[in-house]
Amino acid sequence: MQTSNGVKNIFLIFFSFYILFLLQTSFLAHFNIAGMVPNLILISIILINFFEKPSGDSGLFSAVSGGFFLDMFSGAAAGPLSFIGFHILIYLLIAIFIKFLLKKHVRFF
Amino acid sequence: MKIIFKIAILFLVVSLFVFLNLGPVSPRVKNFFYSISEPAQKWLWEKGARLSNFFETISEIHPALFEKWGGVRSLKNENDLLKLEIKTLTGENLVLSELKKENEILREALEIGLKKDFKLIFAQVIGKDVSQDTILINLGSKDGVKVGLPVITQQKTLVGKISQVYENFSEVMLVSNKKSSFDAKILAPYQTEGFGAGSDTETYGIVKGKGNFKLYLDLIPKEKELKDGDQLVTSALGGIFPPGLLIGEVKEVKKSDVELFQKAEIKPALDIKELEFLFVITKW
Repeated sequence: MQTSNGVKNIFLIFFSFYILFLLQTSFLAHFNIAGMVPNLILISIILINFFEKPSGDSGLFSAVSGGFFLDMFSGAAAGPLSFIGFHILIYLLIAIFIKFLLKKHVRFF
Repeated sequence: MKIIFKIAILFLVVSLFVFLNLGPVSPRVKNFFYSISEPAQKWLWEKGARLSNFFETISEIHPALFEKWGGVRSLKNENDLLKLEIKTLTGENLVLSELKKENEILREALEIGLKKDFKLIFAQVIGKDVSQDTILINLGSKDGVKVGLPVITQQKTLVGKISQVYENFSEVMLVSNKKSSFDAKILAPYQTEGFGAGSDTETYGIVKGKGNFKLYLDLIPKEKELKDGDQLVTSALGGIFPPGLLIGEVKEVKKSDVELFQKAEIKPALDIKELEFLFVITKW
């Protein structure tokens, strides 16, 4: 029961990040503010990691799936940094950092 | 046991990413991914264009927000049409003045034949990269697109050049990308008095991208006079773009006593909100 719930959770995260990614690259590109397109994926990764239990792992998985979609769409114009996995690494680091902060420096009541 | 399992998973994941990044694999994976997302992205791109246009309308007519919708809307439509026409005409005008000069040169050297027009392929925008100034279009190596070909809008405004080609898709590096730089010609308005009266003065400079849809002009000799509103077109010098494509206009000139050249901000003629259909120039 536990595992099927986990798998369901993972699929849900993956699918919702796909939708976020589509929105971000195709829809929000028209609503840039001074040339900046809002990075929905990064915002949601930070929010998920911030509000879930530090021991939970859906934050990490959201970082992987969000990073994966951005990797798929980031162009070769970035040069050596355009390898598949670049955004995954960065977002995983961000997620782990937030979890570390919450674990070490925030007390839950 | 658990540690071995974890290490095995880590190893699998790392080797998967190494495999995905292999030279021949990566473009195919991306091409496959783009073809899955293409319909949704196309739809979202069109809706986004329409919605942003709608919000723009509201912000433009804010004082008249509660007046009769019909009247305001038709006004807005007319305004849009006129703006489009002005853009087309300025583009045409610039091209014509280029052609006029070329014609004179050609008359002098009678042997050269007439220059052919561009050969174009029609393309549609699918999405924009998040972190850089690149867009994805729905043409690929199948349609004869190659790296380095210029991309323009229907008003002959320069958009960028192809930076990567997949089987069914390709990436366009916008002129505002930080990696983009090319030669440009500044067309000062027709001079009526002073030195050089009766002729267009010509200045050459280099247009560089700044990221986030911004451009600047560099390496203009100090003695040249630049004015706000001077039009910029591509020049044939670099050989990257065909000459006479509209880039934008000079917005703010920065002169410094220390530096050898002057710089200027450019207001690009290209607007991401209006990008929907593009043309790739295959021959010029």
